[in-house]
Amino acid sequence: MKQAIYGLILLAFLALPPARELAESIMSIHMHMQMPLIAVSGFLLTPFLQKTFPNFFAKWNEKGLPGFVLVLVVILYWMIPKAMDDALVSGFVEFMKFLSWWLMGVALRDSWGKASHFMKNALVFTIGIIYIIMAGVYIFVDDQLCNNYLLVDQRTLGWGFLLIALCIILYFVQALFINPEDYEEASEN
Amino acid sequence: MTMKKYRHQIISISVILLFGLILFYIGTDGFTAFTEETARTNKLMKEQPQVPEVVLEDSTGREFSFSELNGKYVFMTFFYTSCSTVCPQLEMNVKEVYDQVPEDYLGEDIVFLSVSFDPERDTPEVLDRYRKYFETDADNWRMARVNDRVELDTLMDNLGVIAIPDGDGDFAHNVAFYLINPDGYLTDVMDFEEIDFATDKVLKVLEG
Repeated sequence: MKQAIYGLILLAFLALPPARELAESIMSIHMHMQMPLIAVSGFLLTPFLQKTFPNFFAKWNEKGLPGFVLVLVVILYWMIPKAMDDALVSGFVEFMKFLSWWLMGVALRDSWGKASHFMKNALVFTIGIIYIIMAGVYIFVDDQLCNNYLLVDQRTLGWGFLLIALCIILYFVQALFINPEDYEEASEN
Repeated sequence: MTMKKYRHQIISISVILLFGLILFYIGTDGFTAFTEETARTNKLMKEQPQVPEVVLEDSTGREFSFSELNGKYVFMTFFYTSCSTVCPQLEMNVKEVYDQVPEDYLGEDIVFLSVSFDPERDTPEVLDRYRKYFETDADNWRMARVNDRVELDTLMDNLGVIAIPDGDGDFAHNVAFYLINPDGYLTDVMDFEEIDFATDKVLKVLEG
């Protein structure tokens, strides 16, 4: 319950006009901070929602795959340069941005608990691939992709994508060499 | 019986994919525009707005209203002289189109017009210096500013020109060739890097 309250506070804070204006004035913060934070608020509210609507999640997201599909749809959509411009000029699109990222957070947490190891890796891997492609687009395209942001913001955003993609690669590399179970206490025995 | 077992999952995945498809369809104007700039250009070409009435002041200090150019095609661009990046390139490309238009048409059937959106700095003297780099005729290719802020904003708004001051005296702005027909309506927004395409287009309307 405490988590749900934190989630609501976070969501309310992000939705405040000054907070929105500040976050959206910088392209990288808009993309790499504001949008994921909206998802985090969904993340924090998930246990509460799972308790309130247990049948819904069990029935429609039994093995976690639908949730992962939703996660990818939301991420892919917000990669479109036009989507970000639209969010700045249209209140409706801005609302949809909050709703979709919030739902994405809920879907991710609900699915994460149910999904197999393979599915989780596949999701993270796919996101890594998408981010590497987006890094290439935003770093190397010389045209201004968003009318509301400068080219230099766009480059910075590209490097942000690359950094996240590198972290994902690093995660997979360490997974080859490190077995987390070696470091867990044998409390179950 | 596996189908039955996964029935709910298949339904929810289908719903999500359908939702995603609709979202992408609406968000990209039916898969035609992935950037705002493309969406803007598509919209302009479809709507063909009329160029609003504005008073311009050219590099010789002459004041004229846009409607005085009616009866001629206008090949229009937006720029500012302090721009060191894309504007010189833009105007160089205009020059290439300009040089390929037969002289008989110049000034008679078509006028080139470069409008500065930085009227404070781009005085007639500055514009004239800029014009001289391109060694053009001040009558056939007019470089001008719009002194009235409201008129300039309306003009840029109607033609979808965005110029955001970056605080250091420069602007982040979109770039294109605009072709206005003799009735004063915008008919084409063209990629400023496709010089041959723009030249062909211009020659076609002039000969047609």
